[in-house]
Amino acid sequence: MNVGIIGNGAWGRALAMLVAEAGNLPRIGYRGRPPGGFPGTPNLGALAREVELLILAVPPANVREVVRQAKPGPAHKVVVAARGIEPDGGAFLTEVITQESAALRVGVLAGPTLASEVTARRPGALVAASTYDEVSALCQAALHSPICRVYTSRDLRGVEVASAMVNVLAVAVGIADALSLGVGGQAVMLTRGLAEASRLGAALGADPRTFLGLAGVGDLVACAHHPDHPGRQAGLRMARQGATDEGVHRDCLALNQLAARKGVDLPITEALQHIASGKLKAHLALDNLMRREARPE
Amino acid sequence: MSGIFDPPSPAILSQRLQSRVHARLVHLDDDAVAALLADAIYQERRRMAANRGRWTEQDRAEAALIDEVAPATGQGRSAQEAAIHTLVDRYTQEIHNRFSDRTYRFATKVLPGALTRLLTAAEPRELFGADFDPTSRIQIGGPVALINKLARTHTLLLTPTHVSNLDSPLLGYALFAGGLPPFLYGAGLNLFDNPVMAAFMSRLGAYTVDRRKKHEIYKETLKDYSIEALTRRCHSLFFPGGTRARNGMVEKRVKKGLLGTGLAAWQEGLAAGRPDSEILVVPCTLSIALVLEAETLIEDALAEEGKSRYIITDDEFSEPRTIATFARRVLNLDASVHVRFGRPLDVLGNPVDDEGQTLDPSGAVVDRRRYITNAAGQVVSDAQRDQAYTARLAEKLVGAWHRDNTVLDTHVAAFAAWGLLKRRFPRLDMWKLCLLQPRETALPRGELLSAMERVRQGVLDRVAAGTLHHALGPGDAEALCDRAIGTFASFHRRQALSHGLPGTLHVDPRLALYYGNRLTGYGLESVLAPGGSP
Repeated sequence: MNVGIIGNGAWGRALAMLVAEAGNLPRIGYRGRPPGGFPGTPNLGALAREVELLILAVPPANVREVVRQAKPGPAHKVVVAARGIEPDGGAFLTEVITQESAALRVGVLAGPTLASEVTARRPGALVAASTYDEVSALCQAALHSPICRVYTSRDLRGVEVASAMVNVLAVAVGIADALSLGVGGQAVMLTRGLAEASRLGAALGADPRTFLGLAGVGDLVACAHHPDHPGRQAGLRMARQGATDEGVHRDCLALNQLAARKGVDLPITEALQHIASGKLKAHLALDNLMRREARPE
Repeated sequence: MSGIFDPPSPAILSQRLQSRVHARLVHLDDDAVAALLADAIYQERRRMAANRGRWTEQDRAEAALIDEVAPATGQGRSAQEAAIHTLVDRYTQEIHNRFSDRTYRFATKVLPGALTRLLTAAEPRELFGADFDPTSRIQIGGPVALINKLARTHTLLLTPTHVSNLDSPLLGYALFAGGLPPFLYGAGLNLFDNPVMAAFMSRLGAYTVDRRKKHEIYKETLKDYSIEALTRRCHSLFFPGGTRARNGMVEKRVKKGLLGTGLAAWQEGLAAGRPDSEILVVPCTLSIALVLEAETLIEDALAEEGKSRYIITDDEFSEPRTIATFARRVLNLDASVHVRFGRPLDVLGNPVDDEGQTLDPSGAVVDRRRYITNAAGQVVSDAQRDQAYTARLAEKLVGAWHRDNTVLDTHVAAFAAWGLLKRRFPRLDMWKLCLLQPRETALPRGELLSAMERVRQGVLDRVAAGTLHHALGPGDAEALCDRAIGTFASFHRRQALSHGLPGTLHVDPRLALYYGNRLTGYGLESVLAPGGSP
């Protein structure tokens, strides 16, 4: 199977490696320098035309742009392998694809498989979610191998929400670490964060069980234990140095706006937004969270 | 050109539907075939037991049919398949109503008069002296000329919102007035119980849908019938909402079974290489100032048991005289009924251009066959994919209905009244608000007029933004309020809004909820909040 991967970062190349490991033919669509070790092309439109599956491994803010360039059509199956929602406007990334192209058969790839661990050939697992079984099955066929198990799911929205929330909850883990909250405090941050994610997912029609799977608990545990995870590093910087982070702020803002539209309260994500913008110190934000009204779990 | 003029004989039709069910059965194992039959018998017997003592002739015939096929459940596969075929044959006969071009032309030729006569038949003296012109009362909007043009080259699936049982004759009139071709109707069996409606429906090519039958064999036969009609180039009409909107809202959910038959018929046509296999979906939104069954519908929406009471047989509609009175009064109101056709979509929910070609989000034409074909151009069957495509179509249809909704004076007045009641009693939920006593539901006139003005302005803003339509009368909120009160007073025993003691207006919470719900989903609730602006 010919598989196109748009994105020449560490994650794009890791996916190309998984595709090759599964016995398929990866080709990377890139901007700037050609990828080493894999065939590539800067012509995204040509790449889209020659592949059966197109995987987008670019940051959420770039998805719209690469879809406009690649112009996938009615026959295409397109999968997003990026955590988050679109920072400007808060659209889900699969929605961005259908807003910008004629492709309808879209999906998302998520889970606790990290680029550095793929490169080290450590075993991992991913979940391929789509409302179209043929898309998740194709994705599974493209990536499943002895070093990476790929599960399928129909809960596209659930996996997208879980993945986007894990992206910001990783920051919370870094903050908890910086504030020396201890194992209990970190666990509280993770479980209550997951509860937020699950509430938002439920409001958007997701299956709450998805948040207990690879894209939810699985990915969150991986982020929490990965010392170099970018989100965690951002959390450490914000709490220790009082640094602001425009990227984290935009991610949190987009999620909070989405939650507000659905009438869902995301206290941790809201606190992260204020910390990232510099409006609130991390320890004060933690204090606010701890002083919230007592309630049933 | 359209197959509606050349319907197959009942025998041939039954044969066609039998072959479709046969094609499905061969893919089922023995247990699945047995379960299919057993479920049908169980569901039918359950339905009949619930209705025992009130059986009609048809119920007795259906009970006999079930008794006839029931022994097969204890026999082998061939007996079970034969029993299923027997059921399909009977259901085909029940569903099918042979459409006659002659009767259709007769009905449409005299339709403006016929509409009046059929709807006012309770008082024959009025039939001949009526100086009545429906064109001034029933407003038809949307791209009618385009739909008419596309009807010559495509098979159309007309998918309206469902407000009242009067929708069917209303649509019949709208199709006639728009110069559109005849459509095959999917109409609830209960409509045929009313002799006035039955006469009208049969003239408009109605086939029957018995929503009481919930088992797969019936539902699949119904879908097969729809696919058969569409593949024969019959323009078809059914209500995707399945039943009248109980709470007065523009429907937010649709039943996807029949809706998916457009996609199935299109694929079948493509696979067979038929050049005339293209099918388009036409959304249609009905807006009516007064709804005959409003009181019963909202009671049903509020009642816990209403959730399972899918078919209402004892509402205002069961009385032909009531229908006549209502129709006369509604049609005497200016601009009281609006039928707005939406821009056609393909069977996957994509927009199309004036030639019926699918457009991508940038407005470029795309080959829609690629959604269902492989690289060699062959149609690939995938039931799950088709379900997902149909879900998307349903979503786009709901979006079109909401955009094409026409706001009327009664909607604005009721929405403001319900909103103020909610603000006055913030601790009460919807059910408790509906139980308020009349003395508790008198609102200060000035406050209510102010709320109506804000809602009116909010509606006009949304109309300017292209997210809504309106047919509000001239003048300010006071004029709007007076017109709405006059309209409510023209039929309902209880009125959503009426004059109360000096300086007050009296609100009937249930009817205010029903009519006001027409504005749900447009973010207008915020304009009623303290300090809210349109």
